[in-house]
Amino acid sequence: MPGGDAQRATGDGQPHDRYARQTAADRPGVAQPVPVRPVPQQPWGRIALGVVVLLVLLVGGWEWYWRDYGVKPSISNTFGLWAIQRRRIDAGEGDATVLIGASRMYFDLQLPVWERLDGRRPIQLSFEGTSPLKAVEDLADDPRFTGRLLIAVEPDLFFSGYEYHAGAVRYARKESPSQRVGQWLSMYLIEPYFAFDDGDFALQTVLARQPWPERPGKVWFMNVRKLAEYEPDRNTHLWSKVETDAGYREMARSIWRQDFQPSDDDPPPEEARKTEKEQIERMAGAVAKLRARAVKVLFVRMPSSGEYLAFENRDFPRARTWDALLAATAAPGIHFEDYPELQGYYLPEWSHMTRAEAERFTAALYRLIARDFWGSSAAASAVAAERGSR
Amino acid sequence: MVFNSLTFIVFFACVLGLHSLPLPWTTKKINLLIASYLFYAAWNPPFVILLWVSTVVDWYAAQGLVKARRQSARHAWMLLSVIANLGMLGYFKYGQFLLDNFTALMGTLGVAYHPAHYDIVLPVGISFYTFATMSYTLDVYLRRAAPAQNLLDYALFVTFFPHLVAGPIMRPTELVPQFAQPRRATGEQLRFGLALMTLGLFNKIVLADSFLSRVAERVYDSDKVPGALDAWAATLAFSGQIFCDFAGYSTTAIGAALCLGFAMPDNFRFPYAAVGFSDFWRRWHITLSSWLRDYLYIPLGGNRHGARRTYIALMGTMLLGGLWHGANWTFVAWGGLHGLYLAVERVLRARFSNYRPSPAVFVLLGLLTYTLVNVTWVFFRAKTFSKAWIVLRGMAGQNSGARPILATFSLLSVVAIVGALVLTHWLMRARTLESVVARAPAAAVCAVWALMAFAIIICQGTGSAFIYFQF
Repeated sequence: MPGGDAQRATGDGQPHDRYARQTAADRPGVAQPVPVRPVPQQPWGRIALGVVVLLVLLVGGWEWYWRDYGVKPSISNTFGLWAIQRRRIDAGEGDATVLIGASRMYFDLQLPVWERLDGRRPIQLSFEGTSPLKAVEDLADDPRFTGRLLIAVEPDLFFSGYEYHAGAVRYARKESPSQRVGQWLSMYLIEPYFAFDDGDFALQTVLARQPWPERPGKVWFMNVRKLAEYEPDRNTHLWSKVETDAGYREMARSIWRQDFQPSDDDPPPEEARKTEKEQIERMAGAVAKLRARAVKVLFVRMPSSGEYLAFENRDFPRARTWDALLAATAAPGIHFEDYPELQGYYLPEWSHMTRAEAERFTAALYRLIARDFWGSSAAASAVAAERGSR
Repeated sequence: MVFNSLTFIVFFACVLGLHSLPLPWTTKKINLLIASYLFYAAWNPPFVILLWVSTVVDWYAAQGLVKARRQSARHAWMLLSVIANLGMLGYFKYGQFLLDNFTALMGTLGVAYHPAHYDIVLPVGISFYTFATMSYTLDVYLRRAAPAQNLLDYALFVTFFPHLVAGPIMRPTELVPQFAQPRRATGEQLRFGLALMTLGLFNKIVLADSFLSRVAERVYDSDKVPGALDAWAATLAFSGQIFCDFAGYSTTAIGAALCLGFAMPDNFRFPYAAVGFSDFWRRWHITLSSWLRDYLYIPLGGNRHGARRTYIALMGTMLLGGLWHGANWTFVAWGGLHGLYLAVERVLRARFSNYRPSPAVFVLLGLLTYTLVNVTWVFFRAKTFSKAWIVLRGMAGQNSGARPILATFSLLSVVAIVGALVLTHWLMRARTLESVVARAPAAAVCAVWALMAFAIIICQGTGSAFIYFQF
């Protein structure tokens, strides 16, 4: 056995550990000597080679498993990726069109389509599951931003102030050089090549969602599964599996259904109303700052369907939320139910469009905005861009 | 930069490459020094100035100490070093804390004092490198060590990146002599060093971050009132998290240094198998506890001036040790509890000096030690005393009507990981990692190493900071 003499019997019958050593705890009040750091006797060269081979096999198997599940490599949706887009405003693109919202703005607005129509690619600052309020307040406080702002209203997030991805704004302000480099290395050397590199497939996440026995009194809540695929500039679209795999689609719907039922964690109704008012007031304050420096602000209530739409209409009725928001901010808004061209899209899990539908929706929304809200210059550029693309 | 990041992997590969080039030893040391400054600047470049200040002040203080003829001059040089280092620490780490407490004190006296907001960012690792540099001047002052022969070796001692931000807190006599002669890791040292780094990162990324931290967060960072099971599970999870996080850092640091051919001291010796609190502190954060013993407890009198003075020194050391961890009274309470435990143990040892426990009682005493350590972790983890009381009441089963917080998987992961951790500490309590590795079949070493690396990769760590960076 290699290193079999690691413990040899001493004269008193007790095993002697040849690697035993004293620490500073054993030497009070004296100068501490140079530490001893022995290397255990083993064939380390062969071991290291074996580790490399085993690791390649294990990682290869893991990668194969997830690719077989339908996963393709995709950029990770991190704060660092968000910060890259946010810095575009600081780096001379302050007059750009910025998109802020939650997942519907994120997945359903396709940047290449917008760019084809407008001539400029917008900056995507949405984050799924997250109220856009803090990102809007951040832009409101940044005098470098003088462009146009499209803010998506996804009622259950916007008016509850819920933030699944809290902290992006703070992260972008305090991002260290090390984090910047790490983001760059990851998005160019790791993420484009490994399908398993997605939070939904991390070991602890996979283990946690196994059908463990339920603990009495604890309602099991399934977290949202992978829904989208991301690109380096945060252009994002719904994962095709949600569209093509009926079982996965039904699971995605069942996850949303959890939110449609009352829960012990829900705030009391009076507190929820108070939060709604606070969110609207804070948004009104931010919009006032933006409009004071001639930023064009436009709200858009993104489409939803099925049980999700019924839940939103029940818990966040339009008159109490959307109408109140537009009244408080005195900003224009587009509610999808008011425009036939924004209706009739296919949303497989009631909340997000397929990629093809998102492209169609983006074009329709852009033309509507250019025609009715952001003036003739935008409309003219849209027409010119369309002509150019023919 | 943090060890658990892609940036560090690239950085470390570059450092290893540079260190293996056939360059003069002085050039290699300069490379290591520049790399260490880059390592630190990767957080916040301006704070490198603090490193320089600490380095230069203590270098000249030690030079002054050696040249001083009179004792008063030696005192003055020593005080300059201590005041400069503690002043820096006080300003950056305790400024807000002192201001808050002063404001509260004024409030109790009826004076409405409203200071300007103290918007200071805590330089990462400042508590570690100020203690390392202070040990240099203090060792020279106490005539335990000669000053470094040249500024390069001394600056590298302060800045050497494996220990810079979270220890082990090194003494000059442990590291400076290693810079005197050319050092390069042998092939065996390099591979074992990489294995140690894998073990450390497995502790941090897989056990601490991926499984245990979330359990603790769900109870300690939530408004919900925990029952006995949730309160204990979260506290046990934190006990595992903080060990895996901090021991993971130390192991990675030791491995990184070994890959470069340098030896760093042990910082942990399977502390959850400690029997009694003096034993615990000989096993937990050894380089800090020995630092406090050598430069605080002993100068305060230690055990040489009677029982009363001993207890005062003991309690003073532990209270300040608690405050070292963070600018919050909860950390002081944590230190105070440990001081109390040590004092009670001292009384009991004197009272029952002839008592020799049976093996079963020995294990029971160990489990009692671990249980009491967990009580102290409540104050360490809770951000406020009110939260600490809520969790402690829960642990005592006094939160009637509490609803379950943690899901079955969370409870099972705590039982599995923390159970395995404590069992491992007991099995290893009188051994070293090296002896166990040496006796294991090579195939088993290979499989365990590969599985740890695989787990690190598939847990997809987010590069979260080590807990002790904030201290």
